[in-house]
Amino acid sequence: MPNFINTHSYKYYFNILSPLFSSGAPKTIQKPLPEDLKVRTGVVILSAQVLICRNYKGDVDMAEIDHFMPLLMQHEEEGLLCPVISHGNVHFMWIKHSNLYLVAMTNKNSNASLVYSFLYKLVEVFTEYFKELEEESIQDNFVVVYELLDELMDFGFPQTTDSKILQEYITQEGAKLEVAKTKVPTTVTNAVSWRSEGIKYKKNEVFIDVIESINVLVNANGSVMSSDIVGSIKLKTMLSGMPELRLGLNDRVLFALTGRDKGKTVVMEDVKFHQCVRLSRFENDRTISFIPPDGESELMSYRINTHVKPLIWIESIIEKFSHSRVEIMVKAKGQFKKQSVANNVEVRVPVPSDADSPKFKTSTGNAKYVPEKNLVVWTIKSFPGGKEFLMRAHFGLPSVENDELEGKPPITVKFEIPYFTVSGIQVRYMKIIEKSGYQALPWVRYITQSGDYQLRTNV
Amino acid sequence: MPYLGGEETVRELRRALSNPNVQSDQLRYRNTILKVIRAMSQGVDMSGLFSEMVKACATVDVVQKKLVYVFLCSYAALNPELSLLVINTLRKDCQDPNPMVRSLALRNMTNLRLPSLVEYVEQPLAAGLRDRAACVRRVAVLGWAKLHNLQASSEIDAAVVNELYSLLRDPDPVVMVNCLRALEEILKDEGGVAINKPITHHLLNRLKECDIWGQCQVLRVLQRYRPQSEDELFDILSLLDASLVSPHPPIMAATLSLFLSLCSGQPAVSLAALERVRGPLLAACGSGSREMRFTALCHIQLLLRSIPGLMGAHYKRFFCGYAEPAYIKQRKMQVLVELVNDENVAMLLDELKGYCTDVNAETAQAAITAIGRIGRSYSDRCLEILTGLLGLKQDHITSAVVQTMRDLVWVCPQCSDTVCFALEGCEETLQDSQGRQALLWLLGVYGERVSSAPYTLEVFIDGVRSEASLGVKMELLTATMRLFLCRPAETQDMLGRLLHYCIEEETDMCVRDQALLYYRLLHCGIEETRKVLQGRRSDPSLGVLIGRPAEPVSQWARSFNTLEPLRQGSIETESVSRGSPEHTMFDPKPNADLSNTLDCSRIEKVHSECVRCPTIPRCSPQSLQAAMQLVNIQTLAFTPPQTLPWRVYLYTHTCLDDAPHSTLILGELLYTGEEPQKAEVHKGSADGGVGAEGIEDDM
Repeated sequence: MPNFINTHSYKYYFNILSPLFSSGAPKTIQKPLPEDLKVRTGVVILSAQVLICRNYKGDVDMAEIDHFMPLLMQHEEEGLLCPVISHGNVHFMWIKHSNLYLVAMTNKNSNASLVYSFLYKLVEVFTEYFKELEEESIQDNFVVVYELLDELMDFGFPQTTDSKILQEYITQEGAKLEVAKTKVPTTVTNAVSWRSEGIKYKKNEVFIDVIESINVLVNANGSVMSSDIVGSIKLKTMLSGMPELRLGLNDRVLFALTGRDKGKTVVMEDVKFHQCVRLSRFENDRTISFIPPDGESELMSYRINTHVKPLIWIESIIEKFSHSRVEIMVKAKGQFKKQSVANNVEVRVPVPSDADSPKFKTSTGNAKYVPEKNLVVWTIKSFPGGKEFLMRAHFGLPSVENDELEGKPPITVKFEIPYFTVSGIQVRYMKIIEKSGYQALPWVRYITQSGDYQLRTNV
Repeated sequence: MPYLGGEETVRELRRALSNPNVQSDQLRYRNTILKVIRAMSQGVDMSGLFSEMVKACATVDVVQKKLVYVFLCSYAALNPELSLLVINTLRKDCQDPNPMVRSLALRNMTNLRLPSLVEYVEQPLAAGLRDRAACVRRVAVLGWAKLHNLQASSEIDAAVVNELYSLLRDPDPVVMVNCLRALEEILKDEGGVAINKPITHHLLNRLKECDIWGQCQVLRVLQRYRPQSEDELFDILSLLDASLVSPHPPIMAATLSLFLSLCSGQPAVSLAALERVRGPLLAACGSGSREMRFTALCHIQLLLRSIPGLMGAHYKRFFCGYAEPAYIKQRKMQVLVELVNDENVAMLLDELKGYCTDVNAETAQAAITAIGRIGRSYSDRCLEILTGLLGLKQDHITSAVVQTMRDLVWVCPQCSDTVCFALEGCEETLQDSQGRQALLWLLGVYGERVSSAPYTLEVFIDGVRSEASLGVKMELLTATMRLFLCRPAETQDMLGRLLHYCIEEETDMCVRDQALLYYRLLHCGIEETRKVLQGRRSDPSLGVLIGRPAEPVSQWARSFNTLEPLRQGSIETESVSRGSPEHTMFDPKPNADLSNTLDCSRIEKVHSECVRCPTIPRCSPQSLQAAMQLVNIQTLAFTPPQTLPWRVYLYTHTCLDDAPHSTLILGELLYTGEEPQKAEVHKGSADGGVGAEGIEDDM
C-alpha cells in the first residue's frame, strides 16, 4: 500500500510500507471478543507472552489465552492453520500484524466478518498513532494503548473507532504533564464527525492522487488467467475552515460508477466512498461533493474487473539441468504507450534454493542475486513503452540434489508508471468553496503501479 | 508470566508510592504509577499495592486517573472492601464539569464488576442518562447493561427500561445503538428489545447515520421484525437495497441475513437477494485482508448449497495465488469443485493439477482430493491426471492419489479398470498409514484384476510384526481374506501365516478379535465367508457432483454471518487431509452381516433402545472415534462426513478372555442434522450373559 506524503514540490514519488504480514518471532496482541456483535472478553497483545490484554465483558476467562499460542503452533505444524482456533467453547479469532498477534476471544457464535473488521480497525488506529505497530511501539506507548482500547470498545461493543477523532482527545503527549487538558472534542457530538472546526492554514491547497494497481495472473503457457484494476483517489487537504469540495470526473468513469452505461466494457464494482461523500447527491446528479477530513484520506476506491493487457509482458525460458546448472532467459516488453515510461521496474525471477555461482548478462539495468529469497532481481530504472529488454542468468547446481520439494514460485514484477491510468479515469475539476472565500489550489497526479503481478513459470 | 524479583519490585514501588516527596511531585508520582501498570501488564502480581493506588486516584491529572482506574479494575475483584474507598472519588468525578472526566468515572465505576457496589452506582448512572454530553450518555447506557450482567437475577427498574427506550430517539447515533445493545442484554429473558413497527421504522430511517458497527447491530436486531403487510416488506427491502451491495462486507452480510429472515416466506425474493450480493461477495474474496477473504469464501460455500450456479461464470476468481495461505487455497479448491461444468472443466483441472505439487503437503492433498471429486463427473480426464501424479514418486502425493482413487472407485465403479492398472508398483512410495490402508482396500476389493496383488500383500504380511498402525493391520486382514476368496491358491499360505500371527502374537485386542472372527468365519464354510466379506463394492448413490438438488435457503440461513461457516470448514479440511474414513465403508450393513454369522438363537437377550442426546457435540468423526476407543468402543463403519443423516455403527464387548459368557453390544449413532442427536443402541449379548447397561449412552 503506498504511503502518501505529498510535498509541495508536487513531485512524483512513492514508497512501500513494509509488508503487512511478515514472519518472525511470534508475538501477540490478544483481544477478547464479540458475541454476535460484541467483543466479549478483552484484548491481549502478546510477544511470546501477553503484551496487553483487555477483558471487555468478563465472561471469558482471560487465562484461556494461554492455550492460544500452543494451539497456533500445533496447527501450523500440521498445516491446518486457520483464522479461527477453538479450545473448548472459547474461539480465538486472530490476525497477525508484523510479528504481533491480535486475538479476539469469544464463547458465542459471533459475527466473524465484524470481528475481523474490528481487529483490522485496531491495527489501523494503532498504526496511525505509532506509525509502526510492533512490540516496541506497544511497550513504549502502553498508556495510550490502554486508553485507546477503552475508547474503541466498551462492554464488547465498538464505540469510537475513527482515529481522526480519537487523536483529538487521546494524544501521545498525554505522557507529558498537562493538568486537565482534556476537553471534549466537538466532533464527538458534531454532525461532521470527521472534521473539527477552526482549522487554519496559511496556504490553502489540496493534493489529489489517482492511483491504480494492476493485478495480473498469467499461467505458464502465457495466457492471462485473471486481471483486475484496483484504483483509489487519495486526498491530502490543507484547507482552512469548513470547505465544501466538489470533484468532477470524466463522463466515462461517471457512467461506469453509476452503472448507467450498459454498453461499454468497463464495469466498476466495489466502489467505496469515504463517509464524507454525500451519497444521496451522488445518486441524484452524479456530483461527488463533500467536506473533506483534514490531512490525508482516501476519498474513494474502486475495482475494475476487466481484461487488461499486462503492461509489462514477460517471456521466460528457465532450463534446469539437474546436478549441473540452471539457465534463465527473461525477455521483458513494455506494452504501453511510447510516450509513457515505467520507473523502478523490478523483475523477480525465482531460482532453486541450492543454486550457486551466479552469472548475469542484461541488455539494460542491473541483475542481482538475492540468495536469502532465492531470487534474481533485475532492476530497470526507466523502461519506455514499446521497448524490449533481455536478461540472461546462469547458475551452477550442486551435484548432490536437494531432496526438499520446492514449489514453483511465479515471476513477479514491480513497476510504476506516472501520468497514466489504465481505466482512463481523469479529474476534470475540483471546486473548493469556503465561506471566507479564500482561493485554494488543487493539484492532481496519476500513477499506475503493479499490484499482485504474477507470471507462472514452467520450472 | 511472573518473573523473578516480583516481590522486590512490589516493595520498592510501595515505598515510592507512599513517599510524600513523590506524591507532591506530580510527574514523579505519575511515573511511579506508570511503573506499576507496566509491571502489571507483564504479569507481575501487583494486587498488594491496591490501597496505595486507591489514594493515587484522587488527582486532577486525567492521565494518572486513567492509569489508576486500569489498575483498580484489574484487581477490584480481589479487594472488594478497599474498592469501596474508590467509589467516593468516582462519584465526585461524576459531578466534574469536564464531560470526559464524567464519562471516564462512569465507565470505570461499572467496570469494577463488584456486586456490592451496585447501590452506589445506580444513582450516578441514572443521572448519566440525562447528561448533556453524548459521550456520557453513551457510557451510562452501556453501564446499565453491565449492571444487569453483574446481577442477572435482579430486576432492573422499569423506569430505567422506559428511559432506555426513549433514548432510542437520542440525537447521537451511538447512544441510540448502545441503547439497543443494552436493552438486548437487559431484556434477554424476554427475547430482547421489543421490535414493533414504530421502532423498526425509526431505526431504518437512522441507519445511515450509524457507523458500520452500529449498522450491523441495527440490522441484526431488525431480524426479529415481521412486516405486517407485503407492501411494508417490499418498502423495507428497497430501503435496504443500498446496504445489500455495501462495500463493507460486515454490512453486506448483515443486510443479507436480514433479507433472508424477512423473506423466509418468499423463496424467490431470497434467491434474488443472493444474486444481488454476488458482486460484493466476489469483491470480498479479493479483499486485502486474508481473514476477510477466508470469511467470504466460507459464506460463498453456504450460498452455493442453494444456488450451485451462482458463481459459475466467475470461476477464475477462485484460482489460488502463489503466496496465499493454505487455508484459503483449500477453501478455494472446495469452491472450484462446486463450479465445474462442461465449458470450464479443462481449464479448472489444469489449474488444480498445478496445485498438486504445492510445497505445502496439505494443500497438495486437498488439490488431489478436489480432482477426485471432479472425477465423479469427469472420470476419464481426472484419472489421467491422477495416474500422471503417481509418476512423480512423491510419497505424500502418491498417498493422496491412492486414497482419492479408492474414494472415486467407491462412487464410480466404472473407473476400476484404470485404477487397477495404475496401482501396480505404487506400494513402494507409500509411507503413511492412510495411503497404505487405501491401497490394501483396493487390493482386497479388486484383487482379481491386479496381477501383483498377492505379492504386494505378502510384503505387508512379512512386515506385519513391525507394523505400528492398527488401521493398516485391520485392513490387511480384511484385504487378505477377500483376496483369498478370489485367488485362493496364491493367498492361502500367507493368510494362514497372518491369522496365526494375529491370533497368537498380536497384542492389540481389536486386531486379535477381528482375526478370530475371520478364523471362525472360515470354519463356517466358504459360502458363508463370501456372504459376509463380499458386500457392496461401490455406492453410486453417493451421487454425481452435477445435478445435486439445491438445498432450500432456510437450511443454512440461521448460520449465515456467524462463526459457524468458518468452523464447519475446519472440520471439513481436517477430515479431508487426515484421510477419509471411508475405509470402513466396506462393511455396509454390519448389523445384518453379524447376525448372519452368529447364531441368532444363541442371542438370549436382544433389545434395542433409542437415546436422544440433547446436545450435539461439535467434534470431528476422528476425535469422536478416538475418544470412544479409549473406553473400548470400536467403530464398525460410518458414512462419509457431511452426509445427512450421518451414522456410525459401534460395538463393544466384555474383554474377559475365558469368561463363559460374554456380551456384545452393537450401537448406532445417528445424526440427522438440525434435530437433536439420537443414539440408538441395539444390544445383543452372545453366548448368554448379563448385558452391561447403557455403556455408550453417555456419548
